[in-house]
Amino acid sequence: MEQQQQEHIDSLLERYLSLLDEYTRLRQDLSKLQSGVYQNIARANFAGERGMRYGQDYYDERMRATRVLRIDEAGGDEAVPRFMIKHLMASSSGAAAADDEEEGAKEDEKSESKPEGGDAEGTTAQSNSGTTPETNQTAEDQNQNGEEQEKEKPKMKKTSSDPLRWYGLLAPLPLRTAQTLSIQAVEQVIPRLVSVNAEMEHVEIEIRRARKKRAKAAAVADKEALGMEAVEAR
Amino acid sequence: MSSQADYKDREFLAVIGDEATPLTQDSVTGLLLAGIGHITTGAEAKKNFLVVDNKTETAAIESAFDSFTERKDIGIVLINQHIADRIRHRVDSYTAAFPTVLEIPSKDHPYDPEKDSVLRRVRRLFGE
Repeated sequence: MEQQQQEHIDSLLERYLSLLDEYTRLRQDLSKLQSGVYQNIARANFAGERGMRYGQDYYDERMRATRVLRIDEAGGDEAVPRFMIKHLMASSSGAAAADDEEEGAKEDEKSESKPEGGDAEGTTAQSNSGTTPETNQTAEDQNQNGEEQEKEKPKMKKTSSDPLRWYGLLAPLPLRTAQTLSIQAVEQVIPRLVSVNAEMEHVEIEIRRARKKRAKAAAVADKEALGMEAVEAR
Repeated sequence: MSSQADYKDREFLAVIGDEATPLTQDSVTGLLLAGIGHITTGAEAKKNFLVVDNKTETAAIESAFDSFTERKDIGIVLINQHIADRIRHRVDSYTAAFPTVLEIPSKDHPYDPEKDSVLRRVRRLFGE
């Protein structure tokens, strides 16, 4: 009996430690992504026109969330909430085009980061010259798509959904990279991090319960042993 | 532990973060770029984010934290760890399952595991 209880606690602790390991890894991932976001926003601010800061001055006061939470229960009778992020505009081609842009931005960023030893201005000039043709191309593509869809959907909906549009039609490359990294953090890391936290809380309760049960069983066994000793003494 | 009614309408992430200055980097802008920002329509437009600068009073942060944790449409509250430090008592005494509070790093204030509530719980469990 005692052996069984101990095994149960051990298996719970094993699960708890694997969750802790995942939590620590996710924390590292989040820190890495966040610092990438901050660096890219700083680069966008550095390369931007005089006085232009990509911050709250340009927020759209009518903004609507395009990435929203979905919470459900992770497993059968264990009421552990599982958090997920759903992209509301995922099915629309406007968002798909924006995603394509982000992918492009990511690839450009990778190729650009190689010769980073040079001075900052040189790098930004390089990045600007490297992206202009592609940005023009994607803008043209978008125009074509827009023309095709104008009959079906109102134009406003498409333009207002992407936060990058707050900063103008042609947002700088570092800002698009910041957006890609931020989406990664919001879609993959943050929901998993809070889900793991919820699961850890649940396992903690189970461990405490199992430990109490074991302690009670041990107390009962001690009492019984004392009783037997007393009987034998008589 | 929690009924479905507790969380079925919770679809937003809220943010309490620092703003962009030459010395600090903007946490809120970064997260809003991902499309989580939401301002409700109607007479009382409610935002799901608060930009904290060096002039923001602690009372304003507390009030935003209270309002975000009381709202029924918010599932996760993200707060910069160094801002959470300013209202530490409030954050640590918050125990409700929903919305869940997650402390995130900022550029000038990297993530500090010593202050992480999850890791503190782990230490308690192992009797430290």
